[in-house]
Amino acid sequence: MIDNISKQIRRTIIELANASKGPHVGSSLSCVDLLAALYFEEMRVDPWEERDIFILSKAHAAMSLYSTLAARGIIDKALLDGYYVNDGTLPAHLDNTTARGVEVSAGSLGHGFNIGLGMAYGFKKKASPRRVFTIVGDGECQEGSIWEGALFAPKLQLDNFTAIIDYNNLQGYGRATELCSFEPVKAKWEAFGWCAIEIDGHNYGEISAALKANPSGRPKVIIARTTKGKGVSFMEDQLIWHYYIVTDEHKRQALMELA
Amino acid sequence: MRNAFIDTAIAACAHRDDVFIIAGDAGLGVFDNFKETHPDRFINLGVAEQNMASMASGLAMAGYKVFIYNIIPFVLYRCYEQIRNDICYQDVPVVLVGIGSGLTYAPQGMTHYSIEDIGLARTLPNLTVISPIDPMEAMAAARYALNARHPVYVRLAKRGEPNIHSIEPPDITMPQVVRDGSDVAIFFHGSIAEEAIKAAAELAEDNIHPRLVSMPMIQPINEQGVADVLKGIKTAITVEEHYANCGFGDIFIKTLIKHPKVTQIETLGIPPRFIHEIKDTKGMRDFFGISSPFIVKTVKKYYNR
Repeated sequence: MIDNISKQIRRTIIELANASKGPHVGSSLSCVDLLAALYFEEMRVDPWEERDIFILSKAHAAMSLYSTLAARGIIDKALLDGYYVNDGTLPAHLDNTTARGVEVSAGSLGHGFNIGLGMAYGFKKKASPRRVFTIVGDGECQEGSIWEGALFAPKLQLDNFTAIIDYNNLQGYGRATELCSFEPVKAKWEAFGWCAIEIDGHNYGEISAALKANPSGRPKVIIARTTKGKGVSFMEDQLIWHYYIVTDEHKRQALMELA
Repeated sequence: MRNAFIDTAIAACAHRDDVFIIAGDAGLGVFDNFKETHPDRFINLGVAEQNMASMASGLAMAGYKVFIYNIIPFVLYRCYEQIRNDICYQDVPVVLVGIGSGLTYAPQGMTHYSIEDIGLARTLPNLTVISPIDPMEAMAAARYALNARHPVYVRLAKRGEPNIHSIEPPDITMPQVVRDGSDVAIFFHGSIAEEAIKAAAELAEDNIHPRLVSMPMIQPINEQGVADVLKGIKTAITVEEHYANCGFGDIFIKTLIKHPKVTQIETLGIPPRFIHEIKDTKGMRDFFGISSPFIVKTVKKYYNR
């Protein structure tokens, strides 16, 4: 069932990318399975006032969040028609005044992660059971702010905070592993005192198990190995799909594959 | 006035459970009592200003009124984008408490001066900017900040500034007439007020009585309040411990356009260059022409002319 949900979200992303002629379709496709697991399995969204919080820190993948929120019924599908158009409803990066479920305005990397830490800390202080989840990009982990937060979160025992790294190993201009000393990722986070779990970011069993794993009083980071452009054969692991426009022909082929 | 501000904010915690204070490895001793009485509402987030600003935003979203305490370069400069995106853009009730306004820390060196902070703060919509002249205004600023539903930046010196007002101003959003006078009005904010007061005392000996006006709230400027204090004024002089080209004086000129009876304007401030000179605060004020003798000279140039 969740497989069908993911396909539906991916189809919506293709439609949005095609209609808007905007970039970041590959980035959006890579974190769909993570979002589906969060919104359709793990996170509490009802009652809304007591919901868990999700922050898309890699906000350039906004199409994936909008598509997931629509699939989950949190936003009206009609809102999607105004994505990235003049006098529209939804911008290419997140603005929390535009739609329910967009918890945090974001678009610059290395912000949402730390705002999430602050929220998780606040919920802890208030003895609230609410939890905070965020998805960060692998390229985003080059931001110093990520590591500032990584240093402090274990000390604060933020076991209500989970960061998922969408590790597709294709950032805007190359592979994270070639640009910098990205690896070993898991060992880095563990050395900072985090509960670190490495998974296949497209395998629901693994995503679900990682989300449910007990972090033993520590914040959790899930290193999700993913494929940029996942689900559309000609987009998979292709750097150009960070930017390329989805033409009508691309859309036709992609929707066939995602049927 | 630093302590007046902090003590007022801390006092509110006795009857409020939503106030949270974040220090960035600064203010040794300032929060000792608070840490004891409210250990669950204070945290030192270390030498990590980006994280400090973003976490403050998150805490505010979780329902807290958050005060960030640090020296001004670490409250506004190092983490400007976090303040812009995470605090002002999201419009959350975070109070940025910046210490060491202007040349307070001279001669610590350029990295520690804050003579362009208003220039940065004025670029940020939703952000209220308050620069008190004395402990009384600092207390009023703290009370305003405690009740604000939006971001507030408070710019404070830290040199044991004496009280200029005899009572706490009831409305910190308004221009505050410190001493009445006519023809020429001197507008100022922050600890440089003492130079204006000194200048006025000297001018009084020559029977020259300019109106002294403190402008604690720099953003937004209360336009009606300005109109009221400009009655009978032909010359407006601004003086500040800040770059002249991007501070309060520069903002104020645009306000004065709406007041054609004010025909002459002078903005005293620091020229836009980095400071390599090694001088204390007083020495710097003299060097850059913003101390009392320069104010006296400027007033005499315009008084009853």
